[in-house]
Amino acid sequence: MSDSPIQDELTGHEYDGITEYDNPIPGWWSWMFFGGIVFAVLYYMAYQLGTAGTSVAQAYDNAVTANLKLQFEEIGILTPDEPTILTYMQEENWVLFGQKTFEGNCVSCHGKEGVGLVGPNLTDDHYKNVKRLGDVATVIQKGAANGAMPAWQNRLHPNEIVMVSAYVASLRGQNKPGPRGEEGSVIDPWPAAPTE
Amino acid sequence: MTTTQTMEPTDPSLSKSGILERFSYDDQIVRMFLLATLVWALVAFLVGIIIAIELAFPAANLGIPYITFGRLRPLHTNAAIFAFAGNTIFAGVYYSTQRLCKARMYSDLLSKLHFWGWQLIIVSAAVTLPLGISQSKEYAELEWPVDIAIAVVWLGFFGGNFLMTLIKRRERHLYVALWFYIATIITVAMLHVFNNLVIPIFGGSLIKSYPIYAGVQDAFMQWWYGHNAVAFFLTTPFLGLMYYFMPKAADRPVFSYKLSIIHFWSLVFIYIWAGPHHLHYTALPEWASTLGMIFSVMLWMPSWGGMINGLLTLRGVWHKVTTDPVLKFFVVAVTFYGMSTFEGPLLSIKSVNMLSHYTDWTIAHVHAGTLGWNGFMAFGMMYYLLPRLFQTKLYSKKLAETHFWLGTIGILLYIIPIYVAGLTQGLMWRGMTEQGQLSYPDFVETVVRVIPMYWVRVIGGSCYMAGALLCAYNYYMTWRSRPATYDVPVHEAPALSKGYVDPPAPESRLKGVTELGHKADVWMQFKWHRKWERLPVRFSVWVLIAVGAASLFEIIPTFLIRSNVPTIATVTPYTPLELAGRDIYVSEGCYNCHSQMIRPLLAETIRYGEYSKPGEFVYDHPFQWGSRRIGPDLAREGGKQSHLWHVLHFQDPAQVTPGSIMPEYSWFEKKKLDFKSIPLRVNAMVILGVPYTQDEQDNAEALARAQAKLIAGEIVEQDGPTGLEDKEVVALIAYLQRLGTDIFKTPEPEDEAGADASGSQDEAAAGGGH
Repeated sequence: MSDSPIQDELTGHEYDGITEYDNPIPGWWSWMFFGGIVFAVLYYMAYQLGTAGTSVAQAYDNAVTANLKLQFEEIGILTPDEPTILTYMQEENWVLFGQKTFEGNCVSCHGKEGVGLVGPNLTDDHYKNVKRLGDVATVIQKGAANGAMPAWQNRLHPNEIVMVSAYVASLRGQNKPGPRGEEGSVIDPWPAAPTE
Repeated sequence: MTTTQTMEPTDPSLSKSGILERFSYDDQIVRMFLLATLVWALVAFLVGIIIAIELAFPAANLGIPYITFGRLRPLHTNAAIFAFAGNTIFAGVYYSTQRLCKARMYSDLLSKLHFWGWQLIIVSAAVTLPLGISQSKEYAELEWPVDIAIAVVWLGFFGGNFLMTLIKRRERHLYVALWFYIATIITVAMLHVFNNLVIPIFGGSLIKSYPIYAGVQDAFMQWWYGHNAVAFFLTTPFLGLMYYFMPKAADRPVFSYKLSIIHFWSLVFIYIWAGPHHLHYTALPEWASTLGMIFSVMLWMPSWGGMINGLLTLRGVWHKVTTDPVLKFFVVAVTFYGMSTFEGPLLSIKSVNMLSHYTDWTIAHVHAGTLGWNGFMAFGMMYYLLPRLFQTKLYSKKLAETHFWLGTIGILLYIIPIYVAGLTQGLMWRGMTEQGQLSYPDFVETVVRVIPMYWVRVIGGSCYMAGALLCAYNYYMTWRSRPATYDVPVHEAPALSKGYVDPPAPESRLKGVTELGHKADVWMQFKWHRKWERLPVRFSVWVLIAVGAASLFEIIPTFLIRSNVPTIATVTPYTPLELAGRDIYVSEGCYNCHSQMIRPLLAETIRYGEYSKPGEFVYDHPFQWGSRRIGPDLAREGGKQSHLWHVLHFQDPAQVTPGSIMPEYSWFEKKKLDFKSIPLRVNAMVILGVPYTQDEQDNAEALARAQAKLIAGEIVEQDGPTGLEDKEVVALIAYLQRLGTDIFKTPEPEDEAGADASGSQDEAAAGGGH
């Protein structure tokens, strides 16, 4: 594996007219080949035998912590109840947050604008399993109608449940036409917004 | 009549046994394999174009179950790999081996059995895969009777014929092309057998089996196989072909014999470890994934050794490339080989793979390799062989040139948009807003975005196929001008004598070093390898040791270390109905579009839920992790949608997900579920050690019917259609509603191991979707 120049001397081998040069292996090839082996050894030592904190699971846990901090540091962990939902219904950026959660999880049944599809229309005043504002969160957490509405408490963070509830509640009154018509009965209006 | 007589200057015994033997080559078998190559190439390309259209326009399957994407995609891959590339290999191996060994193939009967056996296997694949008879392991979808046939034809007919030809050869040393053929035959046989160890289900008209491996282990074995199918079916045999046809076509000596030696052995030894890079960030233990990555990185130079030995062989004759279509195809093929084998190690790096995995990037990478390297090697070889086999001039060099350009443009029009699609998917899936949420929470947004790229791919694929059609025409016209009877030249060469003495070991070239230094220098001159080259059986054993030992290093720990798969107490076997539903999922090839493996990456767990744990898959025979996300991951699909939603979604996915490119599966609602076979399925699982209760074993059918009735009732309660209790759709829904739910269950309190599971439950509950 020397770096001696290409001599183009034949080996003397001959197979069906094919001959071979006895040229040395190119130097750069050897360097990169052995470089790869050195890298492999070092990488394995660093990641598999190295210090704690390099594993995929740990990196993931750190990312989750950072993400929760980014999302919810200013509000802490909320309880999905009526006053909390009412509070966050007034905060436009948190309703938008709820809308993103809704787009990721709810549109396949309730439609992109909440007008209903497999599940009911959320923009009118008729409700099947909701009597008061807090029930919105309960239905989301526990599901309803024999599994027609799935339970989301294992899938969503409590704050996400608050925000998506706030978003869903905010859809009421838009009265957009949906494919299913009105279902359930008209319920009392949501309570008034708390005064500052 | 031609006479070949080569003096072996280093063979002192030649004078003693210089009796000339007369022989001729069997070119008829090469003609047969070459025609099969062409026919299956066209079939593979056509099916490829059909499924490319189906992705862009799902209604293209016209509602016919047999030609859905999920069933045809395995047919496309199998046709491209085993039919097109396979017949290319056989044509090239039969042509070159005879000439490199100065011997006719050992047995014309074995040659014919090999040819017809292989074609029969391909035809059976073309029948069984559209029927949904599938093991669901990528490139190993064919069911057990076909697998047995493959083992017999490959190892018995092809391997036996080849090895006996080597033994009966009249050329003392084996040329490098033959080394690559040896590695191919041995390793493919090993991979095929160990990835296809299954328990067949006997009963009724079922052609069905379950692999003996489950979950993590099954995934490991599959990608040990899958990656090395690329290595030893699409790389080593084609390097062998390159080493024969490239110097022949260029009429130039091979650049470096030493490079041949070191890149052959390093390639064979290192390739076999690389499989786990297909499973980065999955439930595979991290040490295995790391091994997969570092061996892939080390593989870069061994792969490039082949490329530079090929390209540098053309030194001094580059002007020929401009005029000779054969060399044009070869040069572009080797260039694509170089590109792909750089990209492969790149994609194996974990942080790159984090982005590329499950996306179309992999598809672009694979097609650069298959269309560029394998396809162009095959067509170059075809244009080299046509005039020689049909003993006439090639009908049209101009058409061959046009084929070359159509093919090249076709490859570019295929891979460039698919690279763009892959990057688009990867970046959209992981995109996060400033508030820490997904930028594109609705998966279908990421699907709709890449559809224009899918249309460009259809154009690219069609160009490539148009080129192949020109080749077919050129083939036909050349064949038509063949002579009335083929000239069969008789060659003469002496039989190999016994008592051959190897030349003495060379002197050390170094001065002033220790004895060890001299030994190393002598070793580095690789003259010792010359002895191996005249001992084919020993050479084969060394290859087997190289690939076998490396495999065992990875396989044994994967199977033996218990901590690789921590048990989760709440994970229990599928109910009989769910098992039946799972088998439909397998049969339809759902894994071709949907993964079931959530990686521990933030954007992924926000989208799909808690990441997948190794212990969740212990009853998954076979695993269904998949390798792509043409649709969303389904690992935590259970409980995410209502039964009714699934019914409507199967009827027509676009009615609940506008923009969806999933084809409709409306026949699930019409087709009766085969309840009678459920006890057979459960019993086969019991043989594999899945802990079904005695009740489940004895009353599998009744239990399945009861669960089906329950689900059908719930569908009715949700205002869905009636009468589904004996239809396939309830089994599928039962399975889908079960997926990924076990870890959230409350464990039995008296169960000691329950503590772990409740830990993960708390974690999952507290972390919510994270």
